[in-house]
Amino acid sequence: MIRVHPEPWATMVAHAEATYPNECCGAMLGTADGDDKTVTVALPLENAYTGAQEDRYEIRPEDLLRVEREARQRGLDVLGIFHSHPDCDAYFSKTDLENSCPWYSFIVLSIQKGKFHHANSWLPNAEQTKAEQEPLEY
Amino acid sequence: MAKILIPTPLRQYAEKNNSVEVSGSTVGEALANLTTQFPDLRKNLYNDEGKLRSFVNVYVNDEDIRYLQKDATAIADGDTISIVPSIAGGRC
Repeated sequence: MIRVHPEPWATMVAHAEATYPNECCGAMLGTADGDDKTVTVALPLENAYTGAQEDRYEIRPEDLLRVEREARQRGLDVLGIFHSHPDCDAYFSKTDLENSCPWYSFIVLSIQKGKFHHANSWLPNAEQTKAEQEPLEY
Repeated sequence: MAKILIPTPLRQYAEKNNSVEVSGSTVGEALANLTTQFPDLRKNLYNDEGKLRSFVNVYVNDEDIRYLQKDATAIADGDTISIVPSIAGGRC
């Protein structure tokens, strides 16, 4: 289960709507008790993909390094990554799976015609062959 | 000794340490010492062929070792090694 507090959730939705029709991305920080995660901070990141950003996103490793440092400074954990699917459902696509990392929760926000529609959270496996849906509360 | 920062989700495999001091003169030696000390970390960082998983990046201080000498990158006392995943994706 992953719970996102109202303030970080508002940050995530605002970032996803502001970047529409492109995909957005960002990191989620908070606390974890086993598989029970609580997101208290959302950090929007720049989509570094150099091609069509309405179909793809990419996070620079150095940006994630900065996120990890910020989390340590705040006494929080890096819990996951969020990104948007403009005018698509919040599934975990083949591209998402092939470029994922099993260490984190991946929240996908579906943005329909510029407005938030729905979201799902996914847990990919280490082989990048499948992802399980994770209960999401926001 | 260099310090390896352990990402949150991997701390469960490293006795909940958020960083570990390791010996070694190269990144490869330091990571080998880390995974000897905490064997459960190995399958999270390396694939069945013994290579770092495709989504694993390693930094020495602020430098990505892919642009240095990779596993053979020299490390000195006081260096900080960070393990950072590659993440990308898209709707199609």
